[in-house]
Amino acid sequence: MSKPSKYLLQFLCASALIMLAAVALNFAVDPLQLFRPARFYQPMYSTDSRMQNAGLVRSQDFDTVFMGTSLAIHFKQSDIDRLLGVRSLKLAMTGSNSHEQSFVLATALERHPGRVIWQMDDWIFQDAPDVDHDAYLPAHLYRRDVEGVAGYLFSGAMARESLWMLARSIKPLEKTVARLTSGGLIKFPLPTVDEINSVRPDYDLSAAYNAKKTVASFTNITAPPRSAYLGFGYDYDAMVRNFERDAVGLIANNPDVKFDIYFPPYSILQFVAMRDASSPTLKIVYDFTAYAAKRLAQFPNASLYDFREVREITHDLSNYADVVHHSPAVDLKVLAMLAERKYLVDPADPTASLQRLKAQVEVYRLENVER
Amino acid sequence: MLFNSYPFIFLFLPVALLGYFALGRLSNLFPVIWLALASLAFYAVSNWQFVPLLLASVAFNYLIGWLLIAGRLRAVLRLAVLTLGVTGDLVVLGIFKYAGFLAANYNAIFATNYMVEILLPVGISFYTFTQIAFLVDAYRGKVAHYRLPHYALFVTYFPHLIAGPILHHKDMIPQFERAETKRPDPHLILCGLIIFAIGLFKKTCLADGIQPLVALAFGPSPPSFDQAWIGALAYTFQLYFDFSGYSDMAIGISLMFGIFLPLNFNSPYKATSIIDFWRRWHMTLSRFLRDYLYISLGGNRHGSLARYVNLMVTMALGGLWHGAAWTFVIWGVLHGLYLCINHVWNNYGPAIAPRFERPARLAAFAVTFLSVVVAWVFFRAENVSSALSILAKMTDPTHIVFGRGEIVDTAFVIVYAALAWFAPNTQAIMGYDHEARTVGQGLDHWRLRPIFLYATAAVLAFGILGIQQHSEFIYFRF
Repeated sequence: MSKPSKYLLQFLCASALIMLAAVALNFAVDPLQLFRPARFYQPMYSTDSRMQNAGLVRSQDFDTVFMGTSLAIHFKQSDIDRLLGVRSLKLAMTGSNSHEQSFVLATALERHPGRVIWQMDDWIFQDAPDVDHDAYLPAHLYRRDVEGVAGYLFSGAMARESLWMLARSIKPLEKTVARLTSGGLIKFPLPTVDEINSVRPDYDLSAAYNAKKTVASFTNITAPPRSAYLGFGYDYDAMVRNFERDAVGLIANNPDVKFDIYFPPYSILQFVAMRDASSPTLKIVYDFTAYAAKRLAQFPNASLYDFREVREITHDLSNYADVVHHSPAVDLKVLAMLAERKYLVDPADPTASLQRLKAQVEVYRLENVER
Repeated sequence: MLFNSYPFIFLFLPVALLGYFALGRLSNLFPVIWLALASLAFYAVSNWQFVPLLLASVAFNYLIGWLLIAGRLRAVLRLAVLTLGVTGDLVVLGIFKYAGFLAANYNAIFATNYMVEILLPVGISFYTFTQIAFLVDAYRGKVAHYRLPHYALFVTYFPHLIAGPILHHKDMIPQFERAETKRPDPHLILCGLIIFAIGLFKKTCLADGIQPLVALAFGPSPPSFDQAWIGALAYTFQLYFDFSGYSDMAIGISLMFGIFLPLNFNSPYKATSIIDFWRRWHMTLSRFLRDYLYISLGGNRHGSLARYVNLMVTMALGGLWHGAAWTFVIWGVLHGLYLCINHVWNNYGPAIAPRFERPARLAAFAVTFLSVVVAWVFFRAENVSSALSILAKMTDPTHIVFGRGEIVDTAFVIVYAALAWFAPNTQAIMGYDHEARTVGQGLDHWRLRPIFLYATAAVLAFGILGIQQHSEFIYFRF
């Protein structure tokens, strides 16, 4: 063998050995708790819900699953448990679509929880890539198939997290490492599940949620040419098709699971924006709501709550950061309403709440809004 | 397909290499055809819908080139053919890259509502420029006739196709024609792997590693003074390690095939003037802009004023080449302005006394670096108003957070700065000489060779372990 060939072989073998050492470390520590709950070290958690959920559904004890989009992302599990008397697992994912939500819920349902609380937006049913072509959801990790497990074990980022967690578990280093933990560079900076994407106590809520921001958002989305995007992706047939596949399919396949679905309390300006700048979109939203309400009424294991008609929340623009995202104070009100079974859609008259919402939208006048 | 992906490293690259060298035993032409087809497959994996456009572009330019080289045309006709070729290239580039930008500006001026949404074919800016250079040289009589497979490979060659370096036909096609490159050379493969490893490490560990800090300045929340600086500096280093990492990988991959690519970076943040910076940053683009735009505009042949105007035009168009947005134009204009100031200073500035040379160099280095950082803010920002807002925060020390997170982030930025300022660059480490076509000459006699091999093996391992899903190179979108 020539000298360069020998060097080449040495180089490749050394690389392979170093990679195998990282694999062994990741398997032993298992920072995502994909194979087993953390035992010999203090676990840490990530704010990247799409990744973190893959471990949570395997390692946590729960009897209730909480699903949704960014409108459900700040809920605290401890609040859900306290107000609803359950042991919950929050799996909400910012900007998620119905394929992602249904897939993650189906994985969680393999652990046989009795209840699903599902914050449901109409737009999640717009057409989207399936989970295997979804750039953001590590579907293979949820399935724990060869590709998912290999990607996890061969990950340098995971090896770094593994080392970080081990360092945090060594008593003399614990405080120093905790101080160095920065959410920007460390993927797992949170010490408890309850803190995942919940609002930090020092967060300035009044700066984040106020009427000025809500109105500014309304002005922005209704101004041309931006207003053209209000109807982007809204296609009634596609939404019905995805609803049937992702929501109805899951409900029908799990008759022993209770599905409490709610339409969240958007600000009234969400609908007024469509009314004034994109009326065909509003019609699709109304038609889809009517379809979904009627369809869900057919399932004894599904209940629908429509909080979009709760005037005291939706007309108070100080509750919002834009036209849809409400404050953590409203999170608690939502949980209270769920506990009291308020705004439950009557299966005998599933579109009554929609008619009340339509009436509110129709009479709402922008002159009252302080710009 | 991304260089920083498992399918590329463990499947595509080994298959492409094996096929290339296996066919090299049979003929000197088959490996060229194989590599061109492999390059098309590489492109098609994630951009299949734009393969016809790429092929049409190759065919169109080859035909125009053939007319200029082999066709016995009169001078007027030759100019007309060249104009047709260059215009054709620029029209296609314009449609795909700038139609949306033009529509947005039209809407802004005339309050209309035209929506133009055209997907940008990856690499179009690079392969268009490469071929315009070919046509201009063909017109100038500086091109010999090339066979179609060699020309097609020159344009589509996968190490450079997506994001450069911008190649020159005179440099590349003779290498494709040489029979020696078709025989596997373990020394070149090892050196190529090491250069690839360094590039991969730069991308997956350094650039992707610091990326989260960029959001401190460019994210949705308004930054404080310190956060704005951390974010702007983080982007400065992210862009460098991302793009120079890509260029290293391209050079390393190509070297495994026995082909030497031109250097694209030479430690740009060590520059002590803006002129120096542009000799070190994206060197193949700088060379292209100088040879085919600045000189064509007249260069410095018509006096100082014309020279400055030409510089400004060249840099503004260079900015626009990066992307269809005013932020890129401002970035280019800023650099044009910097270059003009630099030339004025060189011509009319005071001479530095020898005893002040060292502090003067330090000051020049600091001013150059800060100027570059300021310009990067425009380059990265979503729009001009966000760029101005971030720059305003960078000059407003009344609001400083500097909490635990910012202290840790600052430490990371300092580590990156130290690497960019004090570490030797890839070509220095590997002794890569593009002109002499040599690399790693001292490796065999080097006393620390085993340590070097194991250290670079670790770099490759960390680079592969650092691969994250869907981490595209920043320059892919240009």
